[in-house]
Amino acid sequence: MKPTSKELTATQRMQPGVITLSGFLGSDTRALNEIIADDAAMLERLGHDPEELADRMEYFTRTSWSSYLDEELIEGKYKAQTDVYRGKLPCPYGHAGLYRKAITRLTNMQNGISVVWTSLNIHLIKAHCFFEGRGSAFRIEPETLVKALFE
Amino acid sequence: MFGTIIKDIAVLAGISGILAILLVIAERFLNDYGDCRININGKRDITIKGGNNLLASLGEKEIFLPSACGGRGSCGTCKCKITEGGGPLLPTEKPFLSKAELEDSIRLACQVKVKTDVFIQIPESIFNIRKYTSTITEIIDYTYDIKGITFKLEDGEEIDFKAGQYVQLISEPYAKMKQRVSRAYSISSKPEDRNSIQLIIRLVPEGICTTWVHNYLKVGDRVNFTGPYGDFYLRDTNADIIFVAGGSGKAPIKSILEHLAVVGIERKMTYFFGARTLKDLYLTDEMKAFEKIFPDFRYEPVLSQPESGDGWQGKTGYVMPYFKDAIRDPKNTEAYLCGSPGMINAVCNALTDLGVAKEKIYYDSFG
Repeated sequence: MKPTSKELTATQRMQPGVITLSGFLGSDTRALNEIIADDAAMLERLGHDPEELADRMEYFTRTSWSSYLDEELIEGKYKAQTDVYRGKLPCPYGHAGLYRKAITRLTNMQNGISVVWTSLNIHLIKAHCFFEGRGSAFRIEPETLVKALFE
Repeated sequence: MFGTIIKDIAVLAGISGILAILLVIAERFLNDYGDCRININGKRDITIKGGNNLLASLGEKEIFLPSACGGRGSCGTCKCKITEGGGPLLPTEKPFLSKAELEDSIRLACQVKVKTDVFIQIPESIFNIRKYTSTITEIIDYTYDIKGITFKLEDGEEIDFKAGQYVQLISEPYAKMKQRVSRAYSISSKPEDRNSIQLIIRLVPEGICTTWVHNYLKVGDRVNFTGPYGDFYLRDTNADIIFVAGGSGKAPIKSILEHLAVVGIERKMTYFFGARTLKDLYLTDEMKAFEKIFPDFRYEPVLSQPESGDGWQGKTGYVMPYFKDAIRDPKNTEAYLCGSPGMINAVCNALTDLGVAKEKIYYDSFG
């Protein structure tokens, strides 16, 4: 599938040094639309949609955000902690708005799975079904994320 | 067959070349807007060559509007009022502007192309913002992820700022980084040190500028920055003061305290510094030393997760429960907070619950 001009622009902005140090694509050799299509297909197989995942991630980030120094115990089985750093990041697709440099670490204590995401990850999943390329600093495997969020 | 392909490629390349030349000629002659005038606050005119954006055009004349993204239209901080000229509002600006700002003719300077004369209004304090070149004279590791870096201004230059304000550091290309980025950091030294500033910078995972600062900068390197910016500074009243900070949020409070040590102060002050563990604490002795300098000052580091081997005997938990002992009259108390938005939110709620007026709580929430 030929990439659109929007995807090409987004791909450029996802390169190392444009928005973040290592960029969003990691060592992935697939085109942006292929990465998204593969993850969307995986998500469908798992019976979830990106918005559902993003809303749950947002919930954990928001809940742990209010406890600004400690890990928050949520729903009796999740440990979540959000660290906020100075500054904000834009969406590589050029969406309006800025996303805080906030990193949430979530551990599902029932199955022992831990995942890490940023505020920008939540937006990228919700609006673009983009989980980042393989090997990028904040790539999240959809399968792992689903297990952490819903099992 | 092969010859035909080569011929087609040559024809295509030729057409592309001609089009590129035509574009360059068109850019040169059709987009020549000549000299344009920018009138600032109805008082001052500057003349620039038309065609560039307003942010860059002002920058050429050493007038620096705040901009965290370097004019890429992604941070929304280079706002200014345009009373005449500037062309229509662009879709790229609208999401960053509130209804009131839209009605008040506020625009994003980086998105406004100067093609005709433009009349703008900007705060007078902007004229104090300048670009500085400096040399790094000292780098101190305060914690595992926080450094203090001292920048000495070159050519005998001096900087005039209020304790609590910030500058925008401009990173240089490094490793695979081709572009410069500018990022905001609070000044941690006192304004009386006019020919140098210190910044306290925490390493941000995947941060372009902080990685450059932490892993590439060394003593003797030359660094550019612009400033000063911001309205986080101590108000001149007689109210008691509560300072609250976390992480690199210590920077502006340090600047304020060092300044007060020079000018003197009689006000009651309590400074709460929240951290997770002992390894997140820094400059504790320096802050404690102010207790001997000021007539009524206490420094209270509070650890939320002290580790068993730390031997920590100080305050634990969150900072908020300790406020009530520090506030003697909430109506005559001001608070100055610097840290993460979660901390600011929790502290604001605790202070207002105790009766401190919202408008007397000033903060820098790592914007």
